[in-house]
Amino acid sequence: MLVLVLAHLLVAVALPFVAVRAMRLAFALAALPPAAALAWTLVHIGPVLRGREVVETLAWAPRIDLEIALRLDPLALAMTLLVSGVGALVLLYSRYYFGRDSPDGKRSAPLLLAFAGVMLGLVLADDLITLYVFWELTTICSFLLVGQAGISRESRRSALQALLVTTLGGLVMLLGFIVLGESAGTYRVSELVANPPRGAGVGVAAVLILVGAFTKSAQLPFHNWLPAAMVAPTPISAYLHAASMVKAGVFLVARLTPVFVGVTHWWVLTAVFGVTTMIVGGWRALHEYDLKKLLAYGTVSQLGFLMVLLGTGTRTAAVAGDSMLLAHGLFKAALFLVVGIVDHQAGTRDIRELSGLWKRLPWVAATATVAVVSMAGLPPAVGFLGKEAAFEAFLHGGLGSTVIEAGLLLGSVFTVAYSARLLWGAFADKPRQTTTEAIAAGAGLVLPAAVPAVAGIVLGVAYPITDDLSSAYADTYGTGADPYHLALWHGLNLPLLFSAIALAGGVALHAARERVTNLRARLPKPFTAQRAYERIMALLERTAVGVTGRIQVGSLPTYLGIILITVLVVPGSVLLTRASLPDAVPVWHRLLQIPLAVVILIAIAGVVRARRRLTAVVLVGVIGYGIGGLFIVDGGPDLALAQFLVETLTMVAFVFVLRRLPARFVQSEPAPGLRVPKVVIAVAGGVFMAVAALLFSSARQAPPTASRYYIAHAEEGAGATNVVNAIIVDFRALDTVGEIAVLAVAATGVASLVLATRYQRRRRRGPGRSGSAAKPTDRTTADDHDSRREEARE
Amino acid sequence: MTLLVALPILLPLAAAGLSLAFGRFADVQRVLGMVVLGVLIVDSAVLLYVADTFGPVVLQVGNWPAPFGITLVADRLAVLLLLVSSVVTFAVLLYSIGQRITDYGRGASSTTFHPIYLVLCAGVSLAYLSGDLFNLFVAFEIMLSSSYVLINRRATATRIRAGMTYTIVSLTSSLLFITVIALVYAATGTVNLADLAQRVAELPDGLQTALGLIVLIVFGVKSAMVPLHFWLPDSYPNAPAPITAVFAGLLTKVGIYAMIRTQTLVFAHNESWRLMLAIALITMIVGALGALAQNDINRMLSFLLVSHIGYMLFGLGVYDTAGLTGVILYVIHHITVQATLFLVSGLITRHTGTVALSRMGGLAKASPLIAVLFALPALSLAGIPPFSGFVAKLALLQAGVEAGTWSAYAVTGGAVLTSLLTLYAMARIWTRVFWGRVRKPEADPDPEDELVVGTGTTARAMVISTGLLVTVSVAIAVAAGPLAEISGRAAADLMRHETYSTVVLGGDP
Repeated sequence: MLVLVLAHLLVAVALPFVAVRAMRLAFALAALPPAAALAWTLVHIGPVLRGREVVETLAWAPRIDLEIALRLDPLALAMTLLVSGVGALVLLYSRYYFGRDSPDGKRSAPLLLAFAGVMLGLVLADDLITLYVFWELTTICSFLLVGQAGISRESRRSALQALLVTTLGGLVMLLGFIVLGESAGTYRVSELVANPPRGAGVGVAAVLILVGAFTKSAQLPFHNWLPAAMVAPTPISAYLHAASMVKAGVFLVARLTPVFVGVTHWWVLTAVFGVTTMIVGGWRALHEYDLKKLLAYGTVSQLGFLMVLLGTGTRTAAVAGDSMLLAHGLFKAALFLVVGIVDHQAGTRDIRELSGLWKRLPWVAATATVAVVSMAGLPPAVGFLGKEAAFEAFLHGGLGSTVIEAGLLLGSVFTVAYSARLLWGAFADKPRQTTTEAIAAGAGLVLPAAVPAVAGIVLGVAYPITDDLSSAYADTYGTGADPYHLALWHGLNLPLLFSAIALAGGVALHAARERVTNLRARLPKPFTAQRAYERIMALLERTAVGVTGRIQVGSLPTYLGIILITVLVVPGSVLLTRASLPDAVPVWHRLLQIPLAVVILIAIAGVVRARRRLTAVVLVGVIGYGIGGLFIVDGGPDLALAQFLVETLTMVAFVFVLRRLPARFVQSEPAPGLRVPKVVIAVAGGVFMAVAALLFSSARQAPPTASRYYIAHAEEGAGATNVVNAIIVDFRALDTVGEIAVLAVAATGVASLVLATRYQRRRRRGPGRSGSAAKPTDRTTADDHDSRREEARE
Repeated sequence: MTLLVALPILLPLAAAGLSLAFGRFADVQRVLGMVVLGVLIVDSAVLLYVADTFGPVVLQVGNWPAPFGITLVADRLAVLLLLVSSVVTFAVLLYSIGQRITDYGRGASSTTFHPIYLVLCAGVSLAYLSGDLFNLFVAFEIMLSSSYVLINRRATATRIRAGMTYTIVSLTSSLLFITVIALVYAATGTVNLADLAQRVAELPDGLQTALGLIVLIVFGVKSAMVPLHFWLPDSYPNAPAPITAVFAGLLTKVGIYAMIRTQTLVFAHNESWRLMLAIALITMIVGALGALAQNDINRMLSFLLVSHIGYMLFGLGVYDTAGLTGVILYVIHHITVQATLFLVSGLITRHTGTVALSRMGGLAKASPLIAVLFALPALSLAGIPPFSGFVAKLALLQAGVEAGTWSAYAVTGGAVLTSLLTLYAMARIWTRVFWGRVRKPEADPDPEDELVVGTGTTARAMVISTGLLVTVSVAIAVAAGPLAEISGRAAADLMRHETYSTVVLGGDP
């Protein structure tokens, strides 16, 4: 199975190179892998139905429960037949649908094939994570296929909407998978079905997973992306947005309903959302003039129907669901392909412009009629079998079942009505309208549409086969005493009556279409899901711009202020609440410290107020010398010497640079309102550091072992009588190497900047002088900073 | 064996000196750089094998015993990141050589670029390998001083402003770093990380927490954790593509690495970690919203970088083996993918002549190759399976769900939302850059400025190196099994740090 999936993807990768030269050949090649998959599946029908399921696993990253596990079981079988069968047909159809040099065709061939591959992987997945992998890949394929070249605004928007809505659901679903997998201890679907997990997590997982299923299968209120996606070329709509991808959601529900049989809200949610979607989708389809949009809303409606059937968790509903899954895939693919032919040959798909087309395209009209029989649920099509079973499934039960039954009946009335509208709209003679001109369609276009349409009838007539196929899946729920079996004739019973009501009601509704349209026009316009989506996107946009504009102010002082405030608030509050100052803190231990401290403080105040650069530099020097003085007082003359040297050097360097700069600082005065906060932050920062220094140095219990070791080993180990030297050049030589590298880099940087500036100035003669000349100052600060650190270490 | 540990630091440093000496011989510089970084890849691959099979390789520099000299420690985490980083630095060097040759011809030497780039690589290596807090500071200084030069090289006046923001904020955090080292030394009398692990535990509880938080802020600035991130989107987009790529790929992640190392080894895990989860959530969301507000492709990518730092903080905040495994996987993935995206952005802007998304279009038709090179890392960053970002994200989400606290659930939800917003941002780039009608490249507004070179030409070396990184990110996903195993073992090492201390201090824990 993995080989089949990979074959799709590998051929897809090679396909663009073929498509450039011969596009029709490319589509023919593209149809091969799905055809192979179909053949492979057909061969396995017998064994799988007899219980011999095909299993393949491939470990990927077992530590994070990542594995590829595939299993061909009855449900996967039904889906594979659909995915690969329709896939091959659509690719053959595309051969004639896209013009010989159509860029859309060149793009679509590999993407459609890749999509067929990932869809195959999705339906075969026996592992939740594997399923998710393929799930998201179908979304990406859909995005690229809907958008095509993204020339029109509409196609870009629709592609984006489909992407965002389904990915939102997909991600929520992934969370659900993880919650489920972590509480069950396994991500294998077959193991989960065998041993359904219990616990609070499972209920949460159920809701999260349903969000994914609802978005993918276009359930209300997430349904709008599906009609919008109809901007895609018709073969793509037929395959992705009718027969396969949108089925992923209901397929997932079918897969996991056995796991969530004990979770009440699982079936309640699927029933409520499913029935609502079925009715609303059907109602909307009654008013569309665009045949594709009509079919799209029909798809939405049918997906709701499937959601109800597959989420219920009873055997009869499951039989109905599985057969409807097949039925819908077949008739909807056929009808989309038919609409594609109409559009292709007549140049329009607007009901108001089409008339009498059955005379021009008789075979197409016949195909459409056969497919519509199944869609409307008329005998002998497979759609009839499924609908009968569905009515049967909710016949016996409480109030809930009755409500669902009524909902399904109303939905079926709508289904018949829009089926009639489709057939009438596309092909019928309309009063006061001339017959639409259309070119006759070739067999290359008609056959791929006719095959699924006829298959729908065949599966209905040969109902024992369909029954075997559906029962094999439905038996998961237990067979019971008298299991339901699909048949064309069950005798005169309620389901048959309901079918008759649906047919009569639907035909009547179609006959009264003008009045229905008027009625809709009079109804208040509801707040649509599309408007909700647009509002949410606009809100997101506004929030993004608003939040970012407020936070990202682009002012360096603000950024520095925030860093300082963070230091003050976060560790500061911890120190304030959870540390206590040592009892006796000597404020000074040598008198000389007092005048030095006063000098330093005055110099600091001066620096802050200084308006001339030179004054500021000199005052910074004073601070440095003052600190050097403190070193002397504390008995570190060597340290002080280093400090004095560095200060002197820095001052000299500064003075050289200052020659080229204006005498005064050029920045404008800060806003008066900001002065006080700045002062507060700065002072608080200083106080914090002082207190922290006090606290941490008083926390030490013993003198550092390192310094004793250094003193003991300096002479015999490092051959130095000066322990500081020994540390720099031997004990911690690597630090020194690093710092030398830093200085070298700084020097190189300054040199290159100076050279570059000179070069630029020569080229441009003049401007930008102050801007680039500001650089060296900064470099010096960097150097200065580095050398200071050297001392700090000592 | 221990030579292998010294090589990633000494070799690039020595080569940097040589490279400076051969400043006028462009080809010598190029070959030298490529060879040295190539050797680094091999060296770190060997080290990874050794460290994973036989345990950490420890080098006591100068043979001084542990808490007194400087110790270099090559354990699983350090070497894993070293390997990924060397691959990225190698590819970026190839890219910039290609760019230089296309734009200025083969003979054009760039005297300072090569030496300084090599010094940067040495700094990054030292930061990973250092087992000493002060030496870690030196490593940061080596790395940052080189980055100051690189970001301000050949800069125009506006770019100097952006470079200033970067430089001054970095210097501020360095100042804070050196101060906290002073505090640490004052309280414990040691700067050796393994030794500190024991000494810090003896301090009163309040002081331990405060120290841990200050260190967190220091590395938080370096790794652009919200609210300390402002400098990043204001400065990174103003550097040429290869420079931004290496900064975005490596420098922020070195900050994350230092955070992981110090917070797991030295500082105790206590209730302040709930703060970490809150910060992770805010970082993700603020970054992602920032990205959506941008029209400049590089600014958008920079905000996404901030946003995804949140993922790494998330795993660290969960603080168990599963969470740390997730972080390590995420760091590996993110180094590669973020660097790739900036390289691709460089390729894009060469074709469009502008960084404004609103003025681009139709590039998928004009250059399908660039479209593919963008699509793969973009999907990966958005966490779309089966790419590397998905693997790493999955590990993190699992850890979040397993942790089972409400705060962890909240951040897990935030991570999922961020994924969606990232995908939105990527889809926006895609729809605006690659879709639509083909546009002619805009004329270069400022030929002196290397930021945007709308020549419409790309050297083969630029495409190859970008392709190399794309391949690496795909390979990360394919080899997710063994990578997750190694990351898991590395995470387990982090969780029981006695091993680290024993190895470093020589059986005297």
